Amino acid sequence: MGRNVRSASRLPSPAGWLAGLAGAAALSLLSGCEEDPNAIGRLEGVWGKVGISEGLLQKPRAMTIDPLDRIYIVDMTARIQVFDTQGNYLRGWKTPESKNGKPTGLSIDRAGRLMVADTHYHRILIYSPEGELVRTVQMQRGDGPGELALVADVVEDSEGNYFVAEYGDNNRVQKFDSEWRFLLQWGGHGAEPGQFSRPQCLALDEQEHLWVADACNHRIQVFDRNGKFLQTWGGPGSGPGELRYPYGLVLSPDQTVYVVEWGNNRVQKLTRDGRSLGWWGTGGREPGQLFCPWALVRDHRGRIHVLDTNNHRVQTARM
Amino acid sequence: MSQYRVTFESPGYLILLILVPFLWWLSYRALAPLGQGRRGVALVLRCLIVGLFVLAVAQTQMVRISKRLTVIYLLDRSLSIPPEGQTAMIDYLNAAVARHRVDDDRVGVILFGRDALIEVPAFAYNITLPPNLQAPLESDYTNLASAMRLAMASFPEDAARRIVIVTDGNENLGSAAQEAQALAGAGVGIDVVPVYYEKRGEVVTERVVLPPDIRRGLPFDLKVVMNNTKQPAGADSGEVTGRFVLKQKTRGEARVVSEQKVTLPPGKRVFTVRQQLDAAGFFSYEAEFFPDHPEKDDTMTQNNRASAHTHVKGKGQVLLIEPADNRSQYEGAVKALAEHNIEVEVRSTKELFASLGELQQFDAVILANVPRDAFVDDNQVQMLVRNTQQMGAGLVMLGGPDSFGAGGWIDTELEKAMPVDFTIKSAKVVPRGALAMVMHASEIPQGNHWQKRIAEEALKTLGPRDYCGVIQYGGGGPRGGATTWLWTPGMLATGENREMMLAKLSRMTPMDMPDFEPGMVLAHQGLMALEDVSVRHMIIISDGDPQPPSPATINNFRTAKITVSTVAVGAHGPANSIQMDAIAKATGGRYYAVNNPNALPKIFQREARRVTVPLRHENEAGMRPQITQPHEMLGGIDAVPPITGYILTTVKQNPLVEVVMVAPEPGPAVNRTLLAGWTYGLGRTVVLTTDATARWSKSWLTWQDYAKLVSQIVRWTMRPAGDEGKFSVATDFRDGQVRVVLTALDKNDEFLNFLSPQMAGVGPSLQASEGKLEQVAPGRYVGTFPAREAGAYMIAVSPGAGHGTLNAGVNVPYSDEFRNLEPNQPLMEQLADFVPEGGEPGQLIQAPDGLDRLEPLLEEFNSFRHDLARATSSQDVWPFLLLLGSCLLFADVFVRRVQVSFAWVPVVAAKMLGRKPPPPPAEMIQRLQSRKAEVEDRIAQLRASARFEPSAQLEPDRRILEEPFAGEAAPRRPAAAPDVAQKPPEEEGYTARLLKAKERAWEKGKS
Repeated sequence: MGRNVRSASRLPSPAGWLAGLAGAAALSLLSGCEEDPNAIGRLEGVWGKVGISEGLLQKPRAMTIDPLDRIYIVDMTARIQVFDTQGNYLRGWKTPESKNGKPTGLSIDRAGRLMVADTHYHRILIYSPEGELVRTVQMQRGDGPGELALVADVVEDSEGNYFVAEYGDNNRVQKFDSEWRFLLQWGGHGAEPGQFSRPQCLALDEQEHLWVADACNHRIQVFDRNGKFLQTWGGPGSGPGELRYPYGLVLSPDQTVYVVEWGNNRVQKLTRDGRSLGWWGTGGREPGQLFCPWALVRDHRGRIHVLDTNNHRVQTARM
Repeated sequence: MSQYRVTFESPGYLILLILVPFLWWLSYRALAPLGQGRRGVALVLRCLIVGLFVLAVAQTQMVRISKRLTVIYLLDRSLSIPPEGQTAMIDYLNAAVARHRVDDDRVGVILFGRDALIEVPAFAYNITLPPNLQAPLESDYTNLASAMRLAMASFPEDAARRIVIVTDGNENLGSAAQEAQALAGAGVGIDVVPVYYEKRGEVVTERVVLPPDIRRGLPFDLKVVMNNTKQPAGADSGEVTGRFVLKQKTRGEARVVSEQKVTLPPGKRVFTVRQQLDAAGFFSYEAEFFPDHPEKDDTMTQNNRASAHTHVKGKGQVLLIEPADNRSQYEGAVKALAEHNIEVEVRSTKELFASLGELQQFDAVILANVPRDAFVDDNQVQMLVRNTQQMGAGLVMLGGPDSFGAGGWIDTELEKAMPVDFTIKSAKVVPRGALAMVMHASEIPQGNHWQKRIAEEALKTLGPRDYCGVIQYGGGGPRGGATTWLWTPGMLATGENREMMLAKLSRMTPMDMPDFEPGMVLAHQGLMALEDVSVRHMIIISDGDPQPPSPATINNFRTAKITVSTVAVGAHGPANSIQMDAIAKATGGRYYAVNNPNALPKIFQREARRVTVPLRHENEAGMRPQITQPHEMLGGIDAVPPITGYILTTVKQNPLVEVVMVAPEPGPAVNRTLLAGWTYGLGRTVVLTTDATARWSKSWLTWQDYAKLVSQIVRWTMRPAGDEGKFSVATDFRDGQVRVVLTALDKNDEFLNFLSPQMAGVGPSLQASEGKLEQVAPGRYVGTFPAREAGAYMIAVSPGAGHGTLNAGVNVPYSDEFRNLEPNQPLMEQLADFVPEGGEPGQLIQAPDGLDRLEPLLEEFNSFRHDLARATSSQDVWPFLLLLGSCLLFADVFVRRVQVSFAWVPVVAAKMLGRKPPPPPAEMIQRLQSRKAEVEDRIAQLRASARFEPSAQLEPDRRILEEPFAGEAAPRRPAAAPDVAQKPPEEEGYTARLLKAKERAWEKGKS
């Protein structure tokens, strides 16, 4: 913890520095604990404040980044706000409805448009980068093919097919073609390989394998594009290679994967076969500390931006 | 904007300033050695010090005189001013402020109707009120006085003060003239802006009159008084046509008893409708007039309705309350009571009374196997208790599987009123229950509030020996949140831990729980770890989006016979959750889908009752009740047939409790009560812990004395018949209050003193009013309650123990707001004529053409004129003067004791400027050189002495060495130096010599 705090480059003020250092020192002294040997990375910035005005965040829950390094964030006011990687507010808009609940998944399609998993309305909203609602893919609520329960995330593969993850009454992944016609589904509620308990985040790797953050099973599962189970790793816990409620994942070109753990308040860096390379972050409200983080993205400079949900902010780290 | 002035609180002390010249004269000579300059400074300082101390003693104050003005507008929002008048008032205010407010003058706005409120506090900016100003005010009265009081209290103190009253002057509460006098006395100016409007016609349904002695089956005339205030004008005869409707309401049902088209000529008219009431009970009549052309004839519809209530007494009337979802189980008991001339009105918990007044028609109330959660409103339970305690009615609690402790009545007002407690302390008698709750409702509106409330309700329902645990998902810790128990260890007995549990619940802030599995596993472990528990139950509240538990976990619950009830709340659209329904079905619990959080506490009470099941004691073989003492309730009954079940209780440790019948088993007698009664307040309460129905008392239904037993139990509790002849009740309405006067005489017409009469009123909308009557004179008791609504109020007065209830009524007329339909010019002129202390009189800002033409009005009148007494504020400065004087005292000492040389200044200045320092004066150099030589000589001698050479030449001059110690208590030495050659040098030091002397003294002492 201490190392992260000391390495922070954008702390708000000298007073903050002093407070952070003093707090870290006091905690270390009090607990008598040594620095976490698995801690890696350094904090490079903290941005975002709580609020409902433009540029402020109210319990943000999903985040994605487009090829131009513009970060899209949706929060508990159902506002989608766009920032640059320095946290400068660019624009924002609201989803059409939010009474039933707020979106929990964002991603960018091949055309650079924003896809919003409108969780409690059983639909996908597709926006232009400027915020124009281009398309609403409305599905029936249900557990049949092509029907949706609570939508967690959506991604598009290189052939224009869409993969949609759901939880709630169903725990599965459905595959749709480019016209949103149902192709196939797999999963089901359970803890066996290939089953899910809240598949919260999806990602496609270079081979177009689908990576699923199986949050309540505390693991990552990997499938091919036809739903064939390939591998799983993780398991509940706080140790290296263990996960607790992984809510987001990012695949890095260096063949590593970053997983943000809602329950462990950290971002863990792992090899593609699940070997832990260390983690960054711990629980708390200071810079370098996380409080129930929901999502993360990686920008072109290789920096990780973590959505620090209950601290209503984004933290940038290099791992 | 301010001026300052100095004043003295005790100016008499200023006479002490004459000491200053005396001090000057005295010190002038004494300070002469200081030299001219220092003496001058010291003298000035001394005089200043004395002067400051004298000013401090005189309590000097700084007075600030402000030129600012604060104007507060009081806007009349009562109904007597039509909407167009209200808009004109706001337009005037906005324009006047914009035109006349200058500099730092402040402006504020107060609105008033029945009460007053601050719409805009006084600030120094131009306010603009919206034309459609909405304010949470009751506008059926005009209380100008309260607005004036509020203005007086809200004025800032640092400015002159003026109120501008914009009104029609029709006050009907309080006295504005009296307040104006007080305001003027305090220097507050009063301007009045009259609001004029045309006189309007109105139809008022003034009252519904019922005869006082309505008897069952006898016809009576009901009269409705209506008043048409319209005046004939030219071709308009003033007649108003419309529809007159009279409704009768009883037990929540309304029935139209008369509807007719009527034509109302100007003035009052009375309609008479013949009525007959064939059943005993509480009846309410409501008359309403619907004009054909309301926009022309009757602009205010609030005054078109009037009502009156009555109740027709039966022989002896009892209310039996049974649960809405299990009706007709007490038909046998009802029949039995009817056989003994006791009329019973059976109501379910969903069609209960709304006020204590409504209960007064009944002499006793029977709660028949009613669980606590069946009552929609907890206030009704309190009313039942007060009905006994304060109004003297009886209260009987009949047993059944959902009654007493098993009905969730533990720790309630009802338990306090009963002769038994509903909990069992002995573990041998009753096994324990255990309840675990999983909280996940944080995402509904006010989620944390509701979670706390429902958990508290469930906790209160449990007995002291039952276990309770709460599971939540909480954050914290370096590695984040976890599903945990709220208190450790998870399941704790509620009795000794209840306070701690409630405290923890009040601080509980559960987070969004991702899945049920950890919580359910935790609950299963916690519940199974309890060995002495016979019932295990769990409640899950959630918005349904956590992941469901694994089938293995559900199986574990099923195997362990732990029921799980699930409550789905609508955080994400309408409440519905397939998985929560499935959990409840799989474990034998109940599933609730709740969209209104208000329903949650009752659900949790009901679910918590599942763990209180052990309080039921059943024995199919039968248990024969044992009569413990002869009692009125068992008059003529020697033996009672066996029962098969009852609810366990604990007899209260109170000598008033009479236990009449107990069951033969189980445990000690204090827990086996079947029938007991006591006097509670002015009334009596009785418990019959078995059910008196076919479930537990089947043999009673065919028993010949069943009716006798039931009727005697009820009759023992019933309110005594009233001796109304010796009491009289008078009522009247004044200043918003109904006043009830009770005159009490005994049989010999002597005054009855020291009674504690209680009263309960029921208003036109069946709203309750209660209170005590205080004795004001021999045999005379007076009580009041506010009556905010116009209409008929029925009042029941209970003089005290042993006396029946007296009934009276009072009609509260419509507010004068609906009658005084012309502005009150004299009052407005009177208010404007008050002359504020130190200022000019107010102005009547009168626009003959109304407030529509603002320009001439603004040209002529300015409420921001500065002609009032200026506000002053004073501040004590004497503490500062005292402090300053003390500091100067130090300076005085410094000047006299320290001579400050400024010779270094030219030297330093020259160095800074790079010049050669000026040579010191020659005389000074000579003095310095001789001094230097002297010091060098002495130092040389000192060095010589340090070599310890016993030479007379080199013997140091002891005078030099001892000079620094001359003033100290150094040992005296001979004035002349001893001759070193003749006398050997001193080898011993002074200390050694002292020691030797001491030794010698010792030796001497020994010898």
